[in-house]
Order: sequence, then C-alpha cells, then structure tokens
Amino acid sequence: MELLGYDFVQRGLLVGVLIAISSALTGVFLILRRLAFLGAGLSHFAFGGIALSILLGVEPFLFTTVLVLLLANGVEFLRRERKIGGDISLAVVFSGGVALAVVLLGISGGFRESLFSYLFGNILIVSSVELYMSIAVFLAVILFLTFYFKSFVLLSFNEDIAKVKGAPVRFLNYLLVSVASLVVMVSIKAVGVLLASSFVVIPSMVGIMLSKSLKGSMLISSLVAVLSTLSGILISLNFDLAPGGSIVMVMILTFLIALVVKKR
Amino acid sequence: MQKEEVVRIENLSFSYGGDYEVLRNVNLSIYKGEFLGIIGPNGAGKTTLLRIILGLVSGYKGSVYLFGKNVSQFREWERVGYVPQRLSVEKLHPVSVRELLSSVVRRESDLEFLIEFLHMEELLDKQFVKLSGGQQQLVLLGIALSSKPELLLLDEPTAGLDIHSQEHIMEILKSLSKEEGKTVVMVSHNLGILFPCADRIVAIDREIKYSASPEDSEKLVASIFGLHGNE
Ligand SMILES: Nc1ncnc2c1ncn2[C@@H]1O[C@H](COP(=O)(O)OP(=O)(O)O)[C@@H](O)[C@H]1O
Ligand SMILES: [Mg+2]
Repeated sequence: MELLGYDFVQRGLLVGVLIAISSALTGVFLILRRLAFLGAGLSHFAFGGIALSILLGVEPFLFTTVLVLLLANGVEFLRRERKIGGDISLAVVFSGGVALAVVLLGISGGFRESLFSYLFGNILIVSSVELYMSIAVFLAVILFLTFYFKSFVLLSFNEDIAKVKGAPVRFLNYLLVSVASLVVMVSIKAVGVLLASSFVVIPSMVGIMLSKSLKGSMLISSLVAVLSTLSGILISLNFDLAPGGSIVMVMILTFLIALVVKKR
Repeated sequence: MQKEEVVRIENLSFSYGGDYEVLRNVNLSIYKGEFLGIIGPNGAGKTTLLRIILGLVSGYKGSVYLFGKNVSQFREWERVGYVPQRLSVEKLHPVSVRELLSSVVRRESDLEFLIEFLHMEELLDKQFVKLSGGQQQLVLLGIALSSKPELLLLDEPTAGLDIHSQEHIMEILKSLSKEEGKTVVMVSHNLGILFPCADRIVAIDREIKYSASPEDSEKLVASIFGLHGNE
C-alpha cells in the first residue's frame, strides 16, 4: 500500500475517478437513447485518428478529439436527417477507424510502439494535458446534466413528448454525442481503445438494472464505476497486472452480480 | 359570432417518401371547446395527422395553423398537451413517476395539483415501466396536462386498458372538456366510449370521409367502414 504515496499513483487514481463518473453519467443516457454502441464505434475510430496524427506528427490527443467530435455529430446527423440507424453508421465507423490504423501501420513501421500503447492505455502514466482534460470533461458532464437534466429525462423517455414540451431536442441530441465523444477520448487514456467503451456501458447498465429511479441509476452507476476503477488500479499495482484490464474485469464482475440480484 | 379556430388544416397532403400519400388533401378546423373524435382503420393516417398538427412531422404540402399561427413558427407549446400512442419507452427505463412529472412542471404547486387531480399519490415513487397500462396512461395524461394546456391531443388513450381504466380516463377527459372548456381531440377505435363524449366525429382513411355528429356517425360508420361498435 506504500505505492499510494507515489505521485503518479495519486494522479492515476484521481483521473480514474473523474473518468469513471463522467462516463457512468453519460452512459446512462446513451443506453436509454439506444446509443450503447456509440462508445465502441467512436473509440475504434479514434484508433485510426491516433495513427494518422502520429504519422502527421501532430498532438494525437487533441487532433483525434476534434476528429471524433466531428464524426459523432456526423453519425447523429445521418440518424436524424437521413434516417440511417446509428448502429449502422457506427459499425462502418468502427471498422473504418481500425482499417485506417492498419493501413497506416503498413506505410510506416516506425510508430508501432507508440500506437500500440493506445490500444491498452495506461492510467498510471498521465500527462498534465491528460489530467486537465479529464477535469474539463468531468466539469462539462456535470454542467450539461445540471442545465438540461429535465430535458434529458424527457428526451430519454420519449422524443415526441420532449419536443411538445419545448425541449431543444435536436440541440440536446448533438450535445449528448459531443459530450460522449469527449468522455470516450479520456477513457481511451485510462483503459485504451479496446476497452474504452466498457466505461460508458457496464457501470451505467448496472445502475439502470438496480435502481427504481433515474437519479438512483446515475448514483449507482457512478459508484460502481468509481469503485471498479479504484479497486482495479489497486489490484493491478499489487499483482503487477495491466490496470485497464483489471478495471474492466471488476466492472464485469459487478455486472454479473447485478444480473443475479436483479433476478430476484 | 365566429367560433374560434384552435387548429386549422388546409389542403394537407403528406407522404413518408415515394408516391403513396398517407394523407390526401385534408381540410379540417377544430374549434375552441369542442370534443373531437377521430376514427378510422389502422394505417389510415390518424397518428400522422396528430403528429403533423404538433409540428413533429415536416415535409407536408398544405398549411397547418395552431392558435392562428403557422405550426412551424408556433412556440407556445405550453398551450398544447399530447398523449402519444403506444409509448416506445426502453423496457429497462428506470425513470420514476415523480421524476417524469417533476421534469415537466414549472412549480412544485403544479406537481401537487396534478397528483391530486389524477389521484397519483401511490404511483409517485414507482418506476414508470412497472406500472399497469392504465396507470401509465394516467401518468402520460399528467405529463400532457402539466402546463394546463387549452388543447389536448390524445392518440388511442384507452387502447389495451381494462374497462375500469377506460372509464376512468374518459371520466377525466369529459370533465376537462365540459367543466374546464378545454379543446379535446381524441383518436380511438373504441366507438362505444368515444361517441357518448364527443361533440363531433371525423372519420379518416387517408382523406376525410365525413365529419358528423356522433348520432349520424353511427350510421355512416357502418356503411363506410363496416365497423361495428367496440373493437
Ligand atoms: N415513420 C414512418 N415512416 C414510414 N411510414 C410510416 C411511418 N409512420 C407511419 N407510417 C405509415 O403511414 C401510414 C399511416 O400510419 P399512421 O398515421 O400511424 O396510421 P394510424 O394511426 O391511423 O393507424 C401507415 O401505412 C404506416 O405504415
Ligand atoms: Mg395510430
């Protein structure tokens, strides 16, 4: 436990908690809007974006964040205006991103290692930019939920009712996918491209399953996310395991427990 | 004196894409204080018509006015209440009745009024998706009534409910119409409960087949649709 005294560990734990809460809260609304697959689609697309930015020699995190934001809004545009289901666009985006990364890998072998580090992430190596980014994303999530909570309740319940009640439905849909993009980008830092989507899906699903109110779901999913993240990091430190994998394994364990509890 | 038009529809035609017109040259005025029943077979375009009146569907030909204003420019949505057909709510949705109602009322006193008016005390802390059909419909009605609207549009509000719940809903609608003077537009297949409450019946099947009093309507229904009483 003396490891907890180290700066990098404390930083990792802090960033982990911020990411956990941001993703859990956003994830609840994504799932209720049937956008559970958004996280997986965007994070894999981001892999292509990261490869491209490394090849071009630009800052990967910021460059890819912009790309992912544009893309998520594009997917939402197709869904709204062209009636192309979100799952379909996201499946294309998912494979497109990975394909791009694979092709770019072939062009230049030089950056394999730095690219691979994004596959699994590492919450124990957090740069200052990444720390500030997770604080900013956390604040953004809290702000947008505080301002638009009532509208989001209605929107997740029934879009027609939300519109008739005067909620800015179109704006809120774009806002939701934009916030989700930011959340996915910071989760990639924590657990990597392959596991980022678990942050916006698993704890939120546990919360939805176990609570009899929306606020209760948000609370439970945040708790599950935070506890999984903290215990995952501690397990990884003590047994010298990969932190990302450990965190997600704990999340899945809570999901299984929730399934059993829910049955009764 | 001219009766005040709450809804005015002029030469409305609409297609979801392709040549097939779901609605063809519909002209309809709905007047302040009236209880209008809309009937017609499945797929007749009744839901589409309500959604067009509410500005939820665009890309139609013709004009739709709400309280004298073109619906695309209409902003005073607190004057309108809507109970949609068969809610497609996520089966796992955790939202509680209290959360739903709190998200639509302006003040706490409005919430208390609604709870009392619809006798929903016991439902407040339950999950919406766990309620019975009749209770869900009551909550939807509460959401629609939360802004004290002058115009209420309901899409098959009694479909799939037991007799007791159907009567309860109709009781409420009747009092809203007769005692509070609200304009009520209700789509229903259940002629047996609709006709006694309605002032006028409009039958549509892509186009308006007729507009008549409930008494005359009973004869017309049989001749046009071959429908009989309840469904
Ligand atoms: N979103 C939609 N996209 C395409 N077609 C639709 C859509 N909604 C309804 N329709 C079609 O339009 C017709 C009228 O539907 P609707 O207005 O729901 O009828 P009703 O409420 O009278 O049963 C039906 O043929 C239906 O299949
Ligand atoms: Mg219908």
